[in-house]
Amino acid sequence: MKAEPQPADIKAAQDVIASFQKARKSLRMYPSNNPIYVRTIEDVFRRLDNILEIGPLELGVRQNEILFGDTPVYTASGMEDNLAFFFFKDGLREISFKSGLTLEETREFLEAISQDSGMDEDIVTLLWEKDLEHIKYVIDENFLLEDETYETEAVLHAREETTPEEDLKRAHSEAFSASTPLSAPEIVPLSSADFEELMRAVRLDSADKLIKLISILFDILSDCQPAVYPEVAGIIKSALEHSIRKGDLSSALGIFSAMDAVPPEGPVSDLLKKEMKKVQAHASSLELVKALGEHLDSGQIRDEEMLIDYVRRLDSSAIASLIAVLGDLKTMEARKTVMNALAFLGNKDLNALAKGLSDPRWYVVRNIIHIFRKMEDRRCVDFVIKASRHSDVRVRIEVIRALGELGGQGVIQTVRDALGDSEFSVRSSAARALGMLKTEPARMILMQHMAGKDFMQADFNEKKEFFEVLSGWNGPESEAYMIKCLRAGSLFHKGRTDELKACAAYALGLMGAKNALPLLHKLRDSKNRTISDYAFNAIKRIEYGN
Amino acid sequence: METKEPEQDRPFRDLVSQLAVVIRTSQLHNPANEAVVTAIEKLIPLINGLLEDESSIQVELVGEYFYVNENRVKFTMEHLLNFDFLQKEFAKRSVGSISFLCPVAVENIQNLLSVFIACQYAPDPFEALVTGLAQEKCIDAGVVRRISVDGEHDLRKAVKKTYFNAVSFTKGVMNKLKAGERVNIKKAKRIVESMVDLLLDREEFLLGMTAIKNYDEYTFHHSVNVSILSVALGQKIGLSKKDLMELGLAALFHDIGKTEVPPLILNKPTSFTDEEWNVLKAHPVHGVRMIFRMKSFDDSSIRAAIVAYEHHMHQDHSGYPGIKKLKDLDLYSRIVSLADQYDGMTSSRVYARVPMTPDKALSLMSKRAGTQLDPLLFKFFINLVGVYPIGSLIMLDTKELAVISGVNSGDFQRPKMILITDGEGNKITPVAASLTEKDGLGRYTRNVMRTLDPVKYKINIAEYLL
Repeated sequence: MKAEPQPADIKAAQDVIASFQKARKSLRMYPSNNPIYVRTIEDVFRRLDNILEIGPLELGVRQNEILFGDTPVYTASGMEDNLAFFFFKDGLREISFKSGLTLEETREFLEAISQDSGMDEDIVTLLWEKDLEHIKYVIDENFLLEDETYETEAVLHAREETTPEEDLKRAHSEAFSASTPLSAPEIVPLSSADFEELMRAVRLDSADKLIKLISILFDILSDCQPAVYPEVAGIIKSALEHSIRKGDLSSALGIFSAMDAVPPEGPVSDLLKKEMKKVQAHASSLELVKALGEHLDSGQIRDEEMLIDYVRRLDSSAIASLIAVLGDLKTMEARKTVMNALAFLGNKDLNALAKGLSDPRWYVVRNIIHIFRKMEDRRCVDFVIKASRHSDVRVRIEVIRALGELGGQGVIQTVRDALGDSEFSVRSSAARALGMLKTEPARMILMQHMAGKDFMQADFNEKKEFFEVLSGWNGPESEAYMIKCLRAGSLFHKGRTDELKACAAYALGLMGAKNALPLLHKLRDSKNRTISDYAFNAIKRIEYGN
Repeated sequence: METKEPEQDRPFRDLVSQLAVVIRTSQLHNPANEAVVTAIEKLIPLINGLLEDESSIQVELVGEYFYVNENRVKFTMEHLLNFDFLQKEFAKRSVGSISFLCPVAVENIQNLLSVFIACQYAPDPFEALVTGLAQEKCIDAGVVRRISVDGEHDLRKAVKKTYFNAVSFTKGVMNKLKAGERVNIKKAKRIVESMVDLLLDREEFLLGMTAIKNYDEYTFHHSVNVSILSVALGQKIGLSKKDLMELGLAALFHDIGKTEVPPLILNKPTSFTDEEWNVLKAHPVHGVRMIFRMKSFDDSSIRAAIVAYEHHMHQDHSGYPGIKKLKDLDLYSRIVSLADQYDGMTSSRVYARVPMTPDKALSLMSKRAGTQLDPLLFKFFINLVGVYPIGSLIMLDTKELAVISGVNSGDFQRPKMILITDGEGNKITPVAASLTEKDGLGRYTRNVMRTLDPVKYKINIAEYLL
């Protein structure tokens, strides 16, 4: 680009800077596999590529301005979100983009400028590490100057003592009289075997350093004064956090294993154990569990066995964190894993898990009930019942299913009430729950409900489902009730009565009730097509078993 | 360890690497041999492929690096052997570049190889190479490109500035840590980056600064020197730029735990009592804590903490601190141990006022290779500093005295030097020279007779190196 740019070039440069700013926001907001993240980088690359067709893009950096030639193409005030200051504060004074720039380089550049401040790296370090071939920069080295006079003074000091001529002479003459042989070792040229050995050594060395550091930290703990425990434990806490943030459960488990080796008794050990408890509590914190959740969502942590091993080490305070995270997870797999973890931890503290039932998100409540359901522990019944009047039908269905599976005397009343729910799916679930309970009281409740007026008004599918559930008892009472239904006649509600007949035929077929065959054969000739079809199928099932 | 290969470099890297393979094979066989021809056949498409987009292809050695058409070729550890070999072969013949001016065939490369192999025995190998290639229209050889005097002067200034700023920064860090103040770690990284850049640019300049010792400011100079020597060794073994920075930072802070050792013990000129010795031996443990006090927990602080803990442990675990479960020392710890021992031995310290000469230090270190020190890394280290390391005072067979000022990458036995006396022992205005210089008959002009102890004769090496 020329020193005196054209208005169109200035506009293009302005657009590029604006696209940098936009990219900084998007890259901070979205994960790298998000389409917006990818599209943003492609957009910036396209803009840069277009401008680089004319020539390199050289931008000067001032505290609050970015210049193209002498023309400001970006101006900002204050420090927040000020791209010029972002570069300037770290000593960067010029940045240039050269022809040949690749999409990958653009991505690396944008990721560098999108890093959150406050970390140990500054923008110059990030760009330096990336070593981008087509993005160059100029920095003001004075930024690094610690003590302006140090160099001058040090050089003066080093040169202070000029070698006296007579000492040089003495060295010269003694050197000739000395018989000391050369003491330096021979330089053996490096061979290909040396390089191969080196590569092997480097490969061997590439194992995770965190595990090694953990071992060092516990070595230090075993020897140091108790006054140092909190500081070292603090480093262990950071190590744990680092491993979880990287999705490295293996190192995290390494920390827990090392904690197991802490001597169980003695006054010193008590102090140490107190510190280790803090580490464990940190593992259960919302912050770390959230980080864990992100890795689960991204699919980086797949080893469920390892995850359960890890969860085993958490204390029950992790339950609240896991519940909070559960509602934010995006993938089914991740939710399933967290729910398994909650089922495991929930066993330690049902009350903590039950707190999730107050979560404002219906799907979290449903998931908690699902966890209770899978725990197969009747102590959960009371907690589950509390959600039976939840405003969301999906929760109520899950409650009834859970109660059906958990069973016990305590669930009957709630399931009975659910038979009167305004939603068919809840009533249907309640019927199935009664079927799962399979007790005499459950049968009686079901039959009472089926004998009621409301049931007569229910639609065909609901009736059919209830009859199907009742068939599960397969006893004389159920059979008698169904035969009675087959015989029933009515002048006023013929349609409804016929539906009952068809459903009863269906249920008798399921039960394999031979006693009902004469009646069923009769109904096979019914003018009502539904009755005749159901009777026919029931006969087939009873006589031929299909 | 970062081993990611930059894809855009690949054709250049493959070209340099295959050129090395071809030359190496032709040193074992005649250029017409099948093995050589097979290697040539792999090289030809690389050259001709690049020539489709470029009018000529130049493979050039500048300093320690190869450039293809002005693009510096980044190499990974897998290519280290080939690059190292080709660098030496170029240096042996004082060849700066080989250019391919038009598409080549097998015969063209065979001609190049015949001349390239034969010319090393000529009194002036480069001249012989150029003459031999006179008939070859598609291949040309160029001289070694020297950095301009102005450029060199600027670079020397930059080196001095970076070095003393690093020392001053380290002093500041240690004082701040003692006072319990916060340390700007971003700045530390930037300083190490500058050192890495300078080492990548002209290794010998910054390496030369490590020969300048300062008794009063030993701890700070030592930290910086260990960092420079470690990064230089890391570069020698092919670590990536990012790894070099991590290594340089770890090395810079390897002794940071000493800020917790009382000055009375640290500066005690006589031998330590058992109790004092135990206090001093705790500095690696303090080092781990100090690292995390000044730096957030990340991969580079992990490496730095490990180095701070292990740098006195020794390869055979005979050092300190003792550990329960023996583990191999970290690669960086092994590198830093070498640099630490070398700089420590060659410096004047409170408890060892008289430093060893560099060659004596290397000699002692060679005895420790395999026990205290990693023998393989020591081999690379000695190939880095040379048999007469920078700062060595030597007596030549011309009866002149000289100070070693730089390494000759083509011949480690024959470094660069500054003549400080004439043959009569009279002090002269320092003159730069090289032990590789030859007379008209192809004989070396000067040879080393022995090394001398500059301290014994109060010779201030810094006077010549700064």
